[in-house]
Amino acid sequence: MLLVMEGTNCEDEAFRSFSESGFDPKKVHVNELDHTALEDFDAVYLPGGFSAGDYVRAGSLFASRLMASKSAELARFIDEGKPVIGVCNGFQILAESGLIPDVSHHGKREVALASNISNRFECRLIYIRNVGRNRMLSEVAMDPTPVPVAHGEGRVVFSDKSIIEEMKQRGQILFAYSDPDGNTAGYPWNPNGSEENIAGMTNEEGNVIGLMPHPERLYYGYQLPYKLRSGKPTIGKQFFGAVHKYVMKVTA
Amino acid sequence: MSRSSGFSRIVKIRDLDDGALVKLSKKLGLALSDGEMFQLRDYFRGIGRDPTDVEIQAMAQAWSEHCCYKSSKLYLKKYLSGLRNGSVILAMEDDAGVVAFDDDHAYVLKMESHNHPSAVEPYGGAATGVGGIIRDVLCMGAQPVAILDSLYFGDPEFQGDAKGSHSTKFLASGVVRGIKDYGNRLGIPTVAGSVYFHEGYNRNPLVNAGCVGILEKKNVIRSRASRPGEVLVLIGGGTGRDGIHGVNFASSSLDSENRKSTRSVQLGNPIIEEPLIHAILEMVDANLINGMKDLGGGGLSSAAGEILYAASLSGIIDLDKVHLKDKGMDPWEIWVSESQERMLVTMDPESVKKAQPILKKWDLDSSVIGKVTDGGNLVIQFKGEKVLDLPLEFLTSGPVYARSYHESKPSLTTAIPMETKNYSEFLKNFLSSPNVSSRFRIIREYDRTVRGGTAVSAEVGSPGLGTHSDSAIVVPLPGSRKALILTSGCKVPMVEADPYSGTLASLCEGVRNIICSGGRPHSLVDSLNFGDPEDPEIMGQLVTSLRAIGDFSREFDLPVVSGNVSLYNRSGEVNIPPTPTFMIVGLLEDASKSLSSDFKENGNSIFLLGRILPNLSGSEYLRYFGIQSGAPSPGDLKDLKYLSHLMERLSSRSLVISAHDVSTGGLSVCIAEMCFGNGIGAEVDLSSIYGMRTSVKLFSEAGNAVVVEVPHGREDEFLKECTSLKPLRIGTTGGGMLRINDLEIVIVDSPVKDLMESWNSGLEKILP
Repeated sequence: MLLVMEGTNCEDEAFRSFSESGFDPKKVHVNELDHTALEDFDAVYLPGGFSAGDYVRAGSLFASRLMASKSAELARFIDEGKPVIGVCNGFQILAESGLIPDVSHHGKREVALASNISNRFECRLIYIRNVGRNRMLSEVAMDPTPVPVAHGEGRVVFSDKSIIEEMKQRGQILFAYSDPDGNTAGYPWNPNGSEENIAGMTNEEGNVIGLMPHPERLYYGYQLPYKLRSGKPTIGKQFFGAVHKYVMKVTA
Repeated sequence: MSRSSGFSRIVKIRDLDDGALVKLSKKLGLALSDGEMFQLRDYFRGIGRDPTDVEIQAMAQAWSEHCCYKSSKLYLKKYLSGLRNGSVILAMEDDAGVVAFDDDHAYVLKMESHNHPSAVEPYGGAATGVGGIIRDVLCMGAQPVAILDSLYFGDPEFQGDAKGSHSTKFLASGVVRGIKDYGNRLGIPTVAGSVYFHEGYNRNPLVNAGCVGILEKKNVIRSRASRPGEVLVLIGGGTGRDGIHGVNFASSSLDSENRKSTRSVQLGNPIIEEPLIHAILEMVDANLINGMKDLGGGGLSSAAGEILYAASLSGIIDLDKVHLKDKGMDPWEIWVSESQERMLVTMDPESVKKAQPILKKWDLDSSVIGKVTDGGNLVIQFKGEKVLDLPLEFLTSGPVYARSYHESKPSLTTAIPMETKNYSEFLKNFLSSPNVSSRFRIIREYDRTVRGGTAVSAEVGSPGLGTHSDSAIVVPLPGSRKALILTSGCKVPMVEADPYSGTLASLCEGVRNIICSGGRPHSLVDSLNFGDPEDPEIMGQLVTSLRAIGDFSREFDLPVVSGNVSLYNRSGEVNIPPTPTFMIVGLLEDASKSLSSDFKENGNSIFLLGRILPNLSGSEYLRYFGIQSGAPSPGDLKDLKYLSHLMERLSSRSLVISAHDVSTGGLSVCIAEMCFGNGIGAEVDLSSIYGMRTSVKLFSEAGNAVVVEVPHGREDEFLKECTSLKPLRIGTTGGGMLRINDLEIVIVDSPVKDLMESWNSGLEKILP
């Protein structure tokens, strides 16, 4: 299920990426949520965009509408091990609703996505590498892999430093920004100034995933610059392929 | 004025003398000329009654330059009629051009100016410019897939003045933020465009926004009603008092009085437009919409008038049915308001109910405001009271002027600056000048990859390095690799020196941008920005430029499918430089076969294809030294045609793997930019370019020349394919230096890294 509302704007490319990877995706508007049962779906995906304009804190309005209508169902969905994935604004929504990283297991908001340190919207191709151990995505992007970013508010900051340590111990930091050689580096390789160069994270169980970069925008090899066309599958193909493989296993 | 029975006022004009009539036009903000006011008075004397305020406001709206093209219509018809070919589905008829993409699909394209509002309120002006152009594409039934912007600002050092002009820095940062905030929020990628700085835009910047969309051919929606009995439905944002008199304002010169006209600037809200796009496209798919127009300049008055007039039908409209966002609006305000994010559609009455679930899902308001009738007068009512009752022909067609014009001869002589002693140092500084420097500061704030269809945006090369692409490449349909290639811009100093050859040069550069991306030019739209048409010199610039567009289009078989004219770009005594912006769309059968401007590997051969002409007129080099240009040399169109076909063959056989055209800054800047993409240097020798001095070889922008990278070992195959066009081998890629020799003298010897740093610093200084 791809959940959308006014201002969500990355659903078409996500839809295409899911379809190409073997899913039969369906777009659902938040206004239709009351008539929709989550259990009919294998995965929930929150696309990027500017839900409701993001004039308030990014993602907060979407988060409150989602939780008001579906918090219990969503908890059950997550307990069953089904994936809930948020990209960009979707990540912001998961963070706002306390579903991620959720080290406390109380569904509190523990992480925020603040304005980029450059104070600019950053739309560029950058590199991420896989730093966590994740049941779904551990095979994805082991080497530094190019992926597009496009956001103004993507700097991961924590309400409490101890959360980072907890996350590290449990392997909840999934993707980190790096330079082309895989070394962690500051701006501009880290496009927003995130703590620990965090680009993506999970809950402890590893099935709620949030990331700022957009794998769904880079599905085909021709979307890469000439020099980066290595013949390896793109981040989009790897990412959505891995999610499909995982879902097949969980729902088997 | 006295009140009629209730909601509108009767404006007594029949008894006014000439002086009083002219005063009235000013007082009501109509921006009509004296002659037009007399014409109106004659008309109402003829029908034996005075107009209502709704009628007189509607007339002023419809007769504005912006709506009826009264100064340009005659010449547009003369030079741009019949410029179509077999691919064209709709040209110059509806709100945007429609051209075949493949067997089942068509693309829609349009470019429009939003100059006057951006001069007064840059953020809102530019944002609503983007919103408006997207609705122009949407109203043909198409999914918008890409935005382009050509922006023209004053001297970066201009600080504004006491008469209310803003500083260049303020305007530029406001415009860029406006485009960014609106485009990024809507989720339509801003993929390409141009930015140019020139003191002639100090008080009158230009914002030209273009949009391209895609649709199934069977879903093309006309900008006209279909039959009597249809209902007129207004969908989207509420109507308010924002943007009243926008078109009248846009049809006057900017002076200190109307600079205060922030009321004429519309307010944009992308989070209404975003669901509006979804809902409209779902309604198109469900076959619920017969005719559609967006509400932009002129508001409902313009949209409703034209949707009916184009169909030779008429209508009855109830203004009290329009959903409002401001309370207590007068009928005339509702009729002319330019509030954003609204679409007017004609539907069969039974379709209205079927549309409700779609509109409800997207939380959109709509109102049935009237019905289509079988001719006769257009009747507007408010709570049952008739407030307008006029023949559509009279209301909508507007006057046509054969304004006198004078085509001035360009000066033939050009001064040439002394040869620079240290070219390495000069090139480094030149690369950071406002018009040569990197555009990354701006384009990286635009979301260029949303929708996932972007194959190449305005930036190519490796992350952390990177250079400008010649054009953007967008794959608009899932499941296919066929792509649209997009570019827009204008060679301002060349048009300024000579509107005819400058217009041709602008068009030629667009074509070169397409062929350097591996594709074939397919169609074009224009956005023509000129000064005061009542000045015969300015009118001469417009007419000359139109003549050049016509000549080019016929020679290239490249159809002109839509366009926009913006006049009165004058502030005080200063008219802007003539600025015809062109957006050219090309096609590429397979996006994986695209070409880009960055050097790819060490040790490959660099060739110059096509000719550089020995003429610095209209070059950025002369502008850098503040030297007045003489007549530029228009490149040979036949040469370019040959080059076009050749490049397609070379690219499809991978005999060239990089290509970049020689344009702003000349050959030196072209090669430097090719080095920046992946940080690969070059060793270049210009000795084989005959008959010109070193500075001309390095900086001339005249002619149709392209620099290409040919893989090592395939040079003979490449030369064989080129046959009659004799390419010059001018160098080899590799290393970390850009070294340029001429006649056995090393003239440039600089680390690529240093040049790139300088190039990247230029706009950072203007937009910190």
